[in-house]
Amino acid sequence: MTDARHAVRKTGRHQAKANRQLLYKRVESMKVVKIDKKKWDQGLAALKGVYRIFSPVKMKDAFEFKALEENENPDLGGLNTRLSAKGLIYPQTEAMFTYTLDESREDHHIMSPVETDYSPRAVIGLRPCDADAFLLVQRNFDTPQYKDPYWIDAYEATTIVGLACENPCSTCFCTSAGSGPFNETGLDVLMVETKDGYILKSVTPKGESLIAASGWNDEISPEEAQKQIEPLKTAAEQKISSVVETDQLKNKDAMTIYNAPFWDDVAFACINCGTCTFVCPTCWCFDIQDETHKTEGVRMRNWDSCMFPLFTLHGSGHNPRGEKVQRVRQRFMHKLKYYVDKYNDGIQCVGCGRCVRACPVNIDIRKVCSLMNQPENATCAAQS
Amino acid sequence: MLGYIDKIREIGERLFTDGKVDVVIGFAKGSMPMMNEPMMARSSGDLQKMVWDGNCGINLANYLTNRKEKIGIVAKGCDSRNIVTHIIENKIKRDQLYIIGVPCKGMIDRRAISKAVPGEVTEVIETRDSIRVKGRDFDETFDRGDVLQKNCAVCLHRNPVIYDELVADPVVEQTGIDRYEDVRKIDSLSTEEKWRFFDDLLSPCVRCYACRNACPLCYCPTCFVDESKPQWVGKGIDDIDIKTFHFLRAYHCAGRCTDCGSCERSCPVGINMRVLTKKLEMDCKDLFDWEAGLTLDKRPPLDTYRPDDPNNFIK
Amino acid sequence: MDFMGIERDRLHLSWISSAEATKFIDVVGEVTAAIKALGPNTNFVKNKAKAA
Repeated sequence: MTDARHAVRKTGRHQAKANRQLLYKRVESMKVVKIDKKKWDQGLAALKGVYRIFSPVKMKDAFEFKALEENENPDLGGLNTRLSAKGLIYPQTEAMFTYTLDESREDHHIMSPVETDYSPRAVIGLRPCDADAFLLVQRNFDTPQYKDPYWIDAYEATTIVGLACENPCSTCFCTSAGSGPFNETGLDVLMVETKDGYILKSVTPKGESLIAASGWNDEISPEEAQKQIEPLKTAAEQKISSVVETDQLKNKDAMTIYNAPFWDDVAFACINCGTCTFVCPTCWCFDIQDETHKTEGVRMRNWDSCMFPLFTLHGSGHNPRGEKVQRVRQRFMHKLKYYVDKYNDGIQCVGCGRCVRACPVNIDIRKVCSLMNQPENATCAAQS
Repeated sequence: MLGYIDKIREIGERLFTDGKVDVVIGFAKGSMPMMNEPMMARSSGDLQKMVWDGNCGINLANYLTNRKEKIGIVAKGCDSRNIVTHIIENKIKRDQLYIIGVPCKGMIDRRAISKAVPGEVTEVIETRDSIRVKGRDFDETFDRGDVLQKNCAVCLHRNPVIYDELVADPVVEQTGIDRYEDVRKIDSLSTEEKWRFFDDLLSPCVRCYACRNACPLCYCPTCFVDESKPQWVGKGIDDIDIKTFHFLRAYHCAGRCTDCGSCERSCPVGINMRVLTKKLEMDCKDLFDWEAGLTLDKRPPLDTYRPDDPNNFIK
Repeated sequence: MDFMGIERDRLHLSWISSAEATKFIDVVGEVTAAIKALGPNTNFVKNKAKAA
């Protein structure tokens, strides 16, 4: 890596971290415990009494997050899950209200809130990038002006135990996207796998309560923990081989990037499916639908995607983003420019690399980001 | 197949120089192992970015729909059959196209390879008969024939059926292949078993519609799942809605699908929805002796009527 | 439909002229008998949208 790139990485990360930390409370007097692999099951069983546990589990041919059954264990050996953890807080289809059209009922044509189980949940084994993504998404669902009760209730009910990522994928670029394989921002507990077990470090009061509930009490000093964690962290960060350049995004005029000549080439291959947005931990757009069967109905919200023409289709029939290239540009402009300008907190991306791996036609956000970062250098060289 | 690219570039350059085409559609080297990106060259300089190898599985006919330019297009057997279908269905005109035919030996199944190795694939070296795959802690070599995309392994039309120029001599077509073993296996299940089979098959679907959008046949201005007046299908993740989408999409492809495999290849969650389109392909073969996209001279069976069409389903 | 897990006998197709009243009666009789024999359909029925 060149020095210039290294500098970008450092400043970008530092700035983003500083801002995002305002979004959630950390504890100063953190508690660190060591877990022997033998005691792992015992603590997990104790936690299952207090929390509903969600973890990566190997399903068919991929790892996905899932609510653990009584005798099920987290499967922490995989690479990143195929879908992000976004759906744990913000499900792809979520009921908001129910209603009846049966006029013999007193409450007919009245929306009633849906009873959702917001009892304590714990997510064990998600990657720090996914946890960081919750904080980005929070910007949308939890603003001073508007509070989205569904997202906030689910988020507040959740304690996040992040597994430090010691085997990043070749497509991971978290370190240059404001996160990192051992990044604690967004976590309640950082969990690090060591030779003989795990080290659990609480980062928030929620995390402290989880450790207390687990019965894992083999406490070690924060200094000792740091000594063990630091080399692992450095090793993991060194394994991350890909980088995005974001340092110029803020300074560049939005219209210069918007009108840059490379968009046609970037968009050519795109088939306008919703894969990138659905696997993305930071894509938050949704669509509200009413579905009635006989007299009973549900108002629900579903993930939507700016890649779909329907996303912006007006009732009049006019579509302001009727062309593919406009939709592709919108997705990247939103993540890498509008968000950057609006929140002054880096890009709306945590570098998990899922869209890079899942895109059927290999459109790569890392390449697009470089083009946007230096639009004046870009000829029609999207594919070079 | 690996030597094709020089010829593709040579033809492309000639086409640009002679002013025969405005653009050439082909593949650019991908940013990840086993992935290439469809690209459009606007000048001979852009041709240098083009590649040809076993990762060009996306069907390029999909990029022709309603285009107005004069286009050079690189076409494998399946792409060429979809070009035929496109011409029959008036989605492109034959005289707009210069088809650069590529005799194909099958594309690599990136999922099969990823599944067969113990970690993330970081490098792939392809030779004529083998695929060498490297990762952080492994280095394995596969026979090309063992890691072909499933549709390629049972392909009967590897050579383009329509072209202006071939980049190499035709390859030997596969014979003695049972194309429909999987379909017959499902056919032999009981009703409940079939229902459960599709429950399981389609359960990971996230409704991103990559299968539909990667398909050259799916060019409707508004897909039935996107209609809102009336709304035919729910938009959530209800399994009935998911099944409705997949079943109906397959029906719409009856007599048109060439089993190019773009749908399965594109699916981010690896669903083999080809068993649905293949069932209809098998029926078209059995009932009408029809294979899609082989000739410009015949109308497909579902848009023609013949007095001797099978009709024993009418009581 | 048979292939996707819906019994073959649930769908009938018949060509009946407006003059063929007796054929109409016979066919309706056959259809209802076949469907009653199968019982209520459970596959491909949605009573309520699944949502988290």
